Amino acid sequence: MFKTLNFTDIRNKLKQAFDARVRIVTAGLSLQELRALLRGDPPTEKPNPRYKVHVTSFLFHIRPKFYKKASTLFTHTWRLGFFTVFFFALELITGLVLMIYYTPSPADAYNSILNLMSNVPFGKLLRDLHRLGAEGMVIFTVLHMLRTFLTGSYKKERSFTWLTGVVLLLVVLVLSFSGYLLTWDQLAYWAVTIGTSMAEAAPLFGNQVNLLLRGAPDIGAGGLLRFYLLHIVLLPLVAILMISIHYYKVAREHGISMPAKFDEEDLSVDVKKEANRRIDFLPDLLAHEMFLTSVGIFVLVVMTAFFYSAPLEHIANPQQTPLDTQAPWYFWWLQGMLKMGDKTLMGIILPTIIFGLLFAVPYIDRNPHRQAYKRPAAVAVGLLATFTIVVLSYMGLPQYGIETPAATRIIQDLAPEEGLGELRSIPFEELQPGIYQVNGDMPDELCPDLLWGCHTLEAVFAEFSERVHQAEQAGKLPDVEAVLVIEEWQADLMKVTPRIIWTDSQSGVRKTYEKHIFLHRDHNRSE
Amino acid sequence: MRIQLQIFLGALLITLTGAILIFVGLNEETRMAEFEQHQQAQRIEVGAELFEINCRGCHGLRGEGIADLAPALNSAELFTTRLGEVGWQGSLEDYIIATVSTGRQVSTRPELYPGAGIPAMPTWSDRFGGPLRDDQIESLAAFIQNWEATAVGGTEIRLLPTSTPDPAYSADPVARGQAVFERSGCTGCHTIDGISSGAVGPNLTNVGTIAGTRLKGFTADAYIRQSIIDPAAYLVEGYDDLMLKTFAETISQADLDDLVVFLQAQK
Repeated sequence: MFKTLNFTDIRNKLKQAFDARVRIVTAGLSLQELRALLRGDPPTEKPNPRYKVHVTSFLFHIRPKFYKKASTLFTHTWRLGFFTVFFFALELITGLVLMIYYTPSPADAYNSILNLMSNVPFGKLLRDLHRLGAEGMVIFTVLHMLRTFLTGSYKKERSFTWLTGVVLLLVVLVLSFSGYLLTWDQLAYWAVTIGTSMAEAAPLFGNQVNLLLRGAPDIGAGGLLRFYLLHIVLLPLVAILMISIHYYKVAREHGISMPAKFDEEDLSVDVKKEANRRIDFLPDLLAHEMFLTSVGIFVLVVMTAFFYSAPLEHIANPQQTPLDTQAPWYFWWLQGMLKMGDKTLMGIILPTIIFGLLFAVPYIDRNPHRQAYKRPAAVAVGLLATFTIVVLSYMGLPQYGIETPAATRIIQDLAPEEGLGELRSIPFEELQPGIYQVNGDMPDELCPDLLWGCHTLEAVFAEFSERVHQAEQAGKLPDVEAVLVIEEWQADLMKVTPRIIWTDSQSGVRKTYEKHIFLHRDHNRSE
Repeated sequence: MRIQLQIFLGALLITLTGAILIFVGLNEETRMAEFEQHQQAQRIEVGAELFEINCRGCHGLRGEGIADLAPALNSAELFTTRLGEVGWQGSLEDYIIATVSTGRQVSTRPELYPGAGIPAMPTWSDRFGGPLRDDQIESLAAFIQNWEATAVGGTEIRLLPTSTPDPAYSADPVARGQAVFERSGCTGCHTIDGISSGAVGPNLTNVGTIAGTRLKGFTADAYIRQSIIDPAAYLVEGYDDLMLKTFAETISQADLDDLVVFLQAQK
């Protein structure tokens, strides 16, 4: 044995053995090739070992071998599809961690959020990331769809891909909405109550659907558990399946669409050749994806660490409907439609038709051209639809089209039931006890005792006076008397009472509307 | 973009992200403590609102108590000797939560505060048939305990001239009932000499005398109650069915009781 001992030999054998291990792990890439790959050098062997990976490795077989150069232009895709998946992955990861701290029962759900915020390091960051990611996913899904529509990328062999995309849009909307209820605060509870009550309007089986969703006539323990399971099991599974199909079509079958001009215009051979140049997945596309991922993570972490806080209102109270109940923003358009007519027509039939049309877009639009000026009707319809959605969303706001009595509106605007409002934003030190009457002349200084004055209080009082005067002049509050009373109620606790008294024009009776707002020194309202 | 540049920028961004996360992590302890404090403050605010709606009728607007009815809650006694008096083993918070939740079947000091009879104080927790959830009772307890600073801590608060106890919450049920009568809009339609001059509905100046005679088998108390809760059940001759049907929902039981006592006193 010692006769054959040869160090070069041993070294070579070791090297070979090591190389073999590396090839197993990297699905066929040698150590040398791996190095070249990371440097961005050309392949070291022939045939290109980087393509082999796409056959041998599971994770790489669902990725494309290459895309054509022009199809990857930033101004063509805007990376919208990529970021949609990025958000989905972010939601999966943050969601898995959040599940550890969450209990899906009405008695514990809200407390588990409070516990997450007050007892779990990075708990707030996680929650903010999950919430912001959900909003991001909806935004990017919609933008991605809009881009696909405008560049005409849904045609011919991409029809089915479009169809799976519309399914994904629905899944994303419902996924986001089902997560809405889980915090079990007022916002969540009432938004979901409205949402599920629309199901009730469905013809024939509306009641059954409503009951199936809520688990009881009202949302309670059953409803929360159902939404929870929808949110963490069923919808993610459907989403993963649909994303896989959608992505497989793009990555393995037809690729990303080329910008229309390369397909439809007479360009020089050189330009076409360059446009069709292959951009390999390994290493270029992979590096680009890693880069985009790090940009995405960085932006999200900066936003959540410094700018964004996921809303959390008071605990859900089935006995108390907030004055301005509001659906999540991506359903405002639906709320806007509901204001215009019958619940069954506007809440069920029309949305079904809208989504039906969306599904059918590639089958309705038989125009083979993709460039915008060759399909003016389709582009016009797309832009008009977008514009309509924006207008409907505006109409869905609680401020639009709902007549609230003047006094209620004024006081509610100053101090909304949920959220901050101007009155609650007054720094605690500026809340000087007193009775501040609204009349023609404002006192120069509301709180002469304070060296530094009370500018916020003065501004809020000015706003209050202004609104009352406007309503009086508009004839909504005849013979109005209005007052803002600030009282010291307990140590570190102030009671603020805005009160409006007016003569009801119909019955001639004096009416009073007032609201009692308690403000504690330690209640940090800057967030 | 060249992949080296992308890898470099990506690595840079990940490093920056890491730095931000470390920064966030260092502040987490403070942030969590602040959140807890902020949450406690919010509990006190919510408790104050609940107290106004549910408790002030018996315990006074500012928890000063009402003589011959219910004890003060803003007094030093609650924070010093009360637990020993009743032999309570747990904390003050537990005591308040337990008392509010289950009420008091019998008063512990019947000669001073008989309460509303039996039960002296109703149950408030929805587990025992009351209207409040546990988190609401916890908020109430936080608010009540916040009187400690003024009760025993020597903190003074400045009272406004208006914030003397509301006459509507005086010990006299007739006076309370009159306040209910005035604020519930009754004055718009009904006349009671010296109080109101509405002419839509029947004159109520002598209602205490008439009420018992209107319907066979109805006492004055029962008749007035029915007239408020279900106005259409019996209409006085010459008057149409115009009265609001919503009082059954909008008026609280305590207010209704006071209102009935007040109306019966109109003779």
